[in-house]
Amino acid sequence: MSTHALFSIREFLGVLKHSKHGKVGLALLAIPLTMALFADIISPYSPWERTGMPFEPPSIKHPLGTNDIGQDLLSELIYGSRISMLVGFTAAIVTVLIGVIIGLIAGYFGGIIDEILMSITDIILLMPGLPLMILLAAFLGQGYQNIILVISIIAWPGVARIIRAQVLSIKASQYIEAAIAVGASSTRIIFKHILPQVLPLALANIVLRIGGAMIAEASISFLGLGDPTQKSWGMMLYWAQRTGALSYGAWWWIIPPGAMIVISVLGFTQLGYAIEEWLNPKLRGR
Amino acid sequence: MGFKEYMIKKIISRFFVFFIVVSLVFILPRLLPGGAFAYLIENPNIPPETREELIKSFGLDQPLHIQYIRFLHNFFLKGDLGISFRYLKPVTEVIMEALPWSILLVTSSTIISFTIGILLGAYSATKRGRVADSIITNSVMVFRSMPSFWLGLILLLVFGYYLGWFPLYGAYTYGAEYSSFTEYLLDVLYHLTLPLITLVLIQMAGYTLFTRNTMLDVITEDFIVTARAKGLSERKVVYGHALRPVLPPVITVFAINLGFSVGGALIAETVFSYPGVGRLMYEAVYTSDYPLLLGIFVYISAFTLTAITVAEILYGWIDPRIRRG
Repeated sequence: MSTHALFSIREFLGVLKHSKHGKVGLALLAIPLTMALFADIISPYSPWERTGMPFEPPSIKHPLGTNDIGQDLLSELIYGSRISMLVGFTAAIVTVLIGVIIGLIAGYFGGIIDEILMSITDIILLMPGLPLMILLAAFLGQGYQNIILVISIIAWPGVARIIRAQVLSIKASQYIEAAIAVGASSTRIIFKHILPQVLPLALANIVLRIGGAMIAEASISFLGLGDPTQKSWGMMLYWAQRTGALSYGAWWWIIPPGAMIVISVLGFTQLGYAIEEWLNPKLRGR
Repeated sequence: MGFKEYMIKKIISRFFVFFIVVSLVFILPRLLPGGAFAYLIENPNIPPETREELIKSFGLDQPLHIQYIRFLHNFFLKGDLGISFRYLKPVTEVIMEALPWSILLVTSSTIISFTIGILLGAYSATKRGRVADSIITNSVMVFRSMPSFWLGLILLLVFGYYLGWFPLYGAYTYGAEYSSFTEYLLDVLYHLTLPLITLVLIQMAGYTLFTRNTMLDVITEDFIVTARAKGLSERKVVYGHALRPVLPPVITVFAINLGFSVGGALIAETVFSYPGVGRLMYEAVYTSDYPLLLGIFVYISAFTLTAITVAEILYGWIDPRIRRG
């Protein structure tokens, strides 16, 4: 792993192309990414306009029917990809950012700082994650930024642990000892020698955590703590549940948003596996 | 470290976490803007006498440190977590009515998914690279990518709405009169089926994949090679030798995942209108019943922390090496 002092984008794409996981992941992600990037072009209607009667079943005009106030469900599904993916991406990045900072500080400085930081890490890890997210979301109020914050607050300890372990093993290597011996400053050692080696692992963790963050967003939204001004897949399912979509068998409202979540989560997980294989070739062929 | 010492150390450190949970529940409504008490004071639906009683029950007229000590005293000595805004009775009482249903659902789904997951993972590892392995790993991976409530909705749609095999809501038939306890039990199991299947399908995924991958590491080790060389059957090698060292790490993963599987179970409850703590939590969010919401968090934490501590103690008992850590 230490040979990847800095990861190059070209090498990374090459790895994805040659790994089975990478190909499957990219193929799956093509669907939600296309939706998110080209929502304006491919969406038949604006998801905020009433273009039909309420509770319409699928028809040629509305392939997935309409919701309780006559908005087109297919358009909601397409636009919903944006908030769902945005929350997933951002929450994963913030999570890993906090985890890397805490893990680096704890692992590099050790001693009492390490003990304090790891105690905090353990305490959060031991609390029931999803209920704590719900509690914090309920107090912080609705807004997708708050959901990102809540997910990151709960999820960083897992990353901090992994990064700390990595930092400890790097720190034990001789060239770091040599750098300390010749009087290099802590800042220099951290940024010049340790951080570049931790980055690939951090990248893998970002990708692996997007899926979990998307499921968390959907769960929080489904409980009615989502952002009511935004369309996301979780919010679609919330409205489906609230307006009794089940009681008239509206599969067209219930199945598509969840299926999109599954496709995205699977895609990101596969991509994450591909990156892990690249970092740790022993895992290949599993 | 002796087993007793290890056990005591674990219990004290886990109790400390619980203490933090309780303190968090004290701080949150006092810290965040527009929190619980704004609602309490502004809510026109609460009659003035009740409001005063509520304010007094939270000791809001006292300085903060006195409030904190009173809060701890009330909770740890009397089990008192305040009064639910919506039900206008003690939070603990409201939760106690719902708790048995959640414990039934969470415990049964955890035990079943844990058992099936380990066996399926071990089986998958022995068939590595073959069709059976790829079918198991791929389908398990799909289930792991699903939000629990969505899988619940799909099962309800298919087996409840379209096929009509299972009830659409509840934990028993409302208003039913049972001629015997067995009849009651069957009705409860009948209502439990769909929520249980939902949770088992989602939870077993993690155990299956983890057991399979740990097993693949173990299978190449010397003692397995020896067992094979002795001419033991493949079944004996796998389930007699290889599975044993896999169990302790699986138990650790179980402990780590518990908080999330409980959360998933609670959200799934809302889909099935199952009258447990999750359904209560949903209502509490919906009606801004903050004391109830906070109380539920305390009880969920107590439950998961106890389960984690028991798992860790068992683990230390099975494998003495762990006590050193």
